[in-house]
Amino acid sequence: MDASTDSARLAGLVARVAAHDRAAFGELYAATRAKLFGVVRRILIRGDLAEEALQESYVRIWSNAHRYEPGTASAMTWMVAIARNQAIDVKRRAAERMSAQAVELDDVVLTETKPSAEDTADLRRLRNCLGGLGDDNRDMVLLAYHQGYSREELAEKFARPVATVKTILRRSLMLLKECLDGRA
Amino acid sequence: MAEPEEAAEYVLGTLDASERAAFEARLASDPALAAEVAQWQRRLSPLDDETAPVEPPAGVYGRILERIGPSDNVVQLKRAVSIWRGATAAVSAIAAALILFLVVRTPSPEKGMYLAVLQGENANAPAFVAAVDVGRKMVVVRRLGDAAPTDKSYELWALGGGRDKPQPLGVVDAAMRMPMQDMGPMDGTMLAVSVEPEGGSPTGQPTGPVMFTGKLLSVEGR
Repeated sequence: MDASTDSARLAGLVARVAAHDRAAFGELYAATRAKLFGVVRRILIRGDLAEEALQESYVRIWSNAHRYEPGTASAMTWMVAIARNQAIDVKRRAAERMSAQAVELDDVVLTETKPSAEDTADLRRLRNCLGGLGDDNRDMVLLAYHQGYSREELAEKFARPVATVKTILRRSLMLLKECLDGRA
Repeated sequence: MAEPEEAAEYVLGTLDASERAAFEARLASDPALAAEVAQWQRRLSPLDDETAPVEPPAGVYGRILERIGPSDNVVQLKRAVSIWRGATAAVSAIAAALILFLVVRTPSPEKGMYLAVLQGENANAPAFVAAVDVGRKMVVVRRLGDAAPTDKSYELWALGGGRDKPQPLGVVDAAMRMPMQDMGPMDGTMLAVSVEPEGGSPTGQPTGPVMFTGKLLSVEGR
């Protein structure tokens, strides 16, 4: 199944889930659970918290499916956004920092910057724009996106004041927007 | 009015808790802001391909289903049963079956009418209700729970009552009414539903797991 039929199939399933079709919900879960669990686990690391976030994500998907608009994003992008939001909420609620385990994963994120043959054109373009930010700024954006780092956690890791981190993140995001939209 | 950077930081996930809550409150009633958020999701979503898929533990889906509640027709049935129970004091399984009878518009019970409510292990909601009309030689089945998995069919069987092996009664979908060959003894008979390859068991005997069972009971009462 190529990417476009896959994406049309998921959009069709979300439309049926909006009508509370449970069979469609089961199919949607089967088709997307590993992707979403990967996303929430990367942010939360701890299995029990990741499961909690995954569960909440699908409850949201079930009850908000009627709000999904196929014109604005792919169904997968919409679902990953829900999962990331849930994971970030769970992470901010969880008191512990989980930093000991997070350190190991930092290296993974930071070395995964080289383009590979399987990368999509969109990812190569985004990586290229990220590369223009400079290493530290790029890594801040990636740690926030992939691992749900807060401004405080980034401030600690990069030994910068929290207010500076906020400024850097916002400037980086605006540069990314220019870089991406300028070439669209 | 939100600053343009705020939508970007919201999607990135770095707004602090109070900013995040305030932003989400605005998001619900501001379509322009929602469109801005969707654009940022689209810009950053290629990164999602960098995260390896991970199979979640098997138990998660069951907990999700518990959270989203029983399916609508089971809710309706439970409501109907609770109303019916208010008027009489009856065994709930029989009540459920009788209510369902009205739903499937079977003629009113006559002599030789049997009902069964089929449930799974540990289930608190019925999965199927079946009625056997011996006089008219008909079996009426109505599914209340979830449909069979993709590429599978549910098949109905009669067990016990002196049968030495399960007697196939047919493949059941959402609702069906089928003529019955000689059903044999009714007393002590159980009905069961197994999961079979699409179209039914290729062997004439259950090949997949038996998911739901229920005892056939006479409407007249014994």
